[in-house]
Amino acid sequence: MNDLLPEYAAGSLGPADRRRVEEHVAGCADCRADLASWRVLARAANQVDAADAAPPGPEVVRDALLRSALTGPPPAARIGVRFVLALLRAEARLVRASVLVASALVMAFGAALAAAVPSTSGGPGSVLMLVAPIVAALGIASVYGPQRDPVYELTAAAPTPPRLVLLARVVLVFAYDLVLALATSGLLMLAGSHSVGMVELVLAWLGPMALLSALSLFVAVWTGPEVAVGAALAVWALRVLADSVFAGTGGPFQLVRVVWSTGPVTMLVVCGLTVAAVIVAGRGEPARRLRATHPT
Amino acid sequence: MGGVARWRRSAGTEPDDARLLALVAAGRSAALTQLYRRHAPALFGFLLRLAGDRMTAEEILQDTLLAVWRSAGSYAGKAAVRTWLFGIARRQAHNRLRGRPAPVAVEAADRRDAGPGPEELAIAAAGGTPVAVAIGQLPAHHREVVALAFVAGLPLAEVAQVLGVPVGTVKSRLHHARAALAQLLAEQGVTR
Repeated sequence: MNDLLPEYAAGSLGPADRRRVEEHVAGCADCRADLASWRVLARAANQVDAADAAPPGPEVVRDALLRSALTGPPPAARIGVRFVLALLRAEARLVRASVLVASALVMAFGAALAAAVPSTSGGPGSVLMLVAPIVAALGIASVYGPQRDPVYELTAAAPTPPRLVLLARVVLVFAYDLVLALATSGLLMLAGSHSVGMVELVLAWLGPMALLSALSLFVAVWTGPEVAVGAALAVWALRVLADSVFAGTGGPFQLVRVVWSTGPVTMLVVCGLTVAAVIVAGRGEPARRLRATHPT
Repeated sequence: MGGVARWRRSAGTEPDDARLLALVAAGRSAALTQLYRRHAPALFGFLLRLAGDRMTAEEILQDTLLAVWRSAGSYAGKAAVRTWLFGIARRQAHNRLRGRPAPVAVEAADRRDAGPGPEELAIAAAGGTPVAVAIGQLPAHHREVVALAFVAGLPLAEVAQVLGVPVGTVKSRLHHARAALAQLLAEQGVTR
């Protein structure tokens, strides 16, 4: 009973409990005194020396919303599936058409070459394996930086984190190249009577394509797209040499061959490079870019 | 006490609190206004009691509404919306009031027996205004529990949820707060 008295004084008891308290208090002097003190406390707690204790009107909500609009990001709840779709759709309009067309043309050229190549010298896989990674890597090199991005300043000033924008673009371009390469593989399977299966064909280019793209992305974010293109071409040339001119040699070339296959090691390196690129992307200006702001 | 009785009447045609909060999460500002109207007296009374002056209380209220607007999507439905609201308001009040010098701590005797001791009688004898002044001098954790229970008019079980402590702790804090009040009054010579 003693426990109910504060709530009774506060007026937060339900009707049944309230009646119980009233019945008890009528016959118990101790509880009456106790209740009296809670009542004084409750009344005093509601008595504030401010002249006007009425809550502010709904304009306080407007002020809070105004502050929200002026000071910070939109509610975190809105970064959901719908937000991601909207971001991808918006970024898709910013991927340069020339990149898409050039990628498709080079891939088509590769497909024609692969169809013509005699199956004795490695089959279509060997040609596709050469073409697909370099197409994807060059496309990825173009997604980041003030030189290539038509709305770079806008992106830098928008509330969406630049890292998220970068990821969205990489996903778009890589998905596009993936679809291109898959379609090419499918067409080659349909057209030719080759000994290799579809899975084998895809595995031949998938790992190298992901790795070269990740490398290109990292270098593009780190220093700039031109260097990324150069680095991708150089590294890829090394890989091709390891398979042809230095085919028999072991040592470092053996390592090159392991890294450039489709396997867990490759995927680890891909993930590492992508994470590194995303981290570097948020860190202001690339090392070799002319600074937009004056160094102090 | 506290103008919160109206809160209970929301069952009719009006959307309930959880529905309103979902609308807020979807970015509907009118829903936030409606939610605010519903809880304004209790919420503002609570903040006014904690802050002590109207200007600070209004600032904290705005902080609270901003936080509700931004984090409405994170409401998981584990507690009632009102509990969640007061939890946010309390946190915002802590953020704003942190820099203030703590009120003089009052050592209160730990006693929770049944009969009315000298404290209870002292408070009842002192009357409203001196007690109101003394409440403003209580340590923050006492003022908080008094404000939630008597100004906002929350049931003690809900007060416990807002504070994240067991109900028993809320009850003992209330008794401690009352004992501390009595001591303050005695020191100031209001009684005796």
